[in-house]
Amino acid sequence: MTTPTTSEFESPAAMSQVCATSLRNLLVALADTKLLLGYHYGEWTFGPPELEAAIAGCSLCQTELGHVRLLHGLLKRYYGDEPVSLIEDRPATAFANVSYLDQELEDWAGLVAANYAVDLAATRLLHALRGSAFTPLRMSLEKMLDEERYHIHHGQGWFRTLAQKGDETRQAVEASVRRALETVVEWFGPADESEDLELVQGGVKSRTNREVLQDLLDDVSQTATPLGMRIDVELPEQMPGWSPTTRRSGGAGPEEEILYHLRGSKNAVFKLRS
Amino acid sequence: MSDARVYEVFARKDHNEALKHVGSVNAADDDLAKAYAWTMYDEESWVEMCAVPRSAFIPITHDGAVPLWGN
Repeated sequence: MTTPTTSEFESPAAMSQVCATSLRNLLVALADTKLLLGYHYGEWTFGPPELEAAIAGCSLCQTELGHVRLLHGLLKRYYGDEPVSLIEDRPATAFANVSYLDQELEDWAGLVAANYAVDLAATRLLHALRGSAFTPLRMSLEKMLDEERYHIHHGQGWFRTLAQKGDETRQAVEASVRRALETVVEWFGPADESEDLELVQGGVKSRTNREVLQDLLDDVSQTATPLGMRIDVELPEQMPGWSPTTRRSGGAGPEEEILYHLRGSKNAVFKLRS
Repeated sequence: MSDARVYEVFARKDHNEALKHVGSVNAADDDLAKAYAWTMYDEESWVEMCAVPRSAFIPITHDGAVPLWGN
């Protein structure tokens, strides 16, 4: 276990080069995951089992996209990344979102798993940044965490509802959550990953990704166990080929069809970008 | 959803004003009631919001009837 420093950073320029690069990768991974979550919540504004869930989907989409804007603002200010480029100019293979979000979510259980497992994983990571030594990020976190409370209520509420509704819905949500968690494990990376340890050492994060992942699995267990469900996933120590820039061991990134809609490519002629 | 219950939602914009009824939501449990109330009645910056299952209400004036505000 590394011992964090107590320095405060007004800018990544004051950090070690490795720490600054690791922080950029982390911000991109969070922004990409929230961008894809926003897309899927938006897609599921139509077709959920009840009108209230449609309204909630709209709201969840709106807050995720707001968080993307905030994270992109940090990337622009401190790393010179243009927000439009981050969305429109990178190939699918460069995206660092949780890979569960790469494809369309086929049914409501799939969306609930994204909400319950993937969204919560990103929120758990935000919690680990709450006392961050990188001041501009720390200043942005409370708003995000405050809004994420309602995402958690929605995910837990629907997970519990589907688990208790009947065998078919229970099996569907259990399978989807397990699949989502497996991709979340990949997103958090191998144990003792060097960039992650650098961020903890630099005080940018308070907990390692493996510890954050364990917090998430405890959250899931706390809800699932009283329902008689046990959703175990493997936690490999090593992940051959895993990259800290894409947080994957391979794979192609989000489907082109999703990126086409997400980028508004159909309306390219109307874009204000020169 | 057939398992849904009705929750009445109350909120206030300022600590000095009384809680007022702002609407209702249909939800399967308390977690969903919180999420639905917060996302549906987000027109103000509430300092407090809470929800009560309609079944917990003790009717005084309209005993047995659906309240005027209800769905």
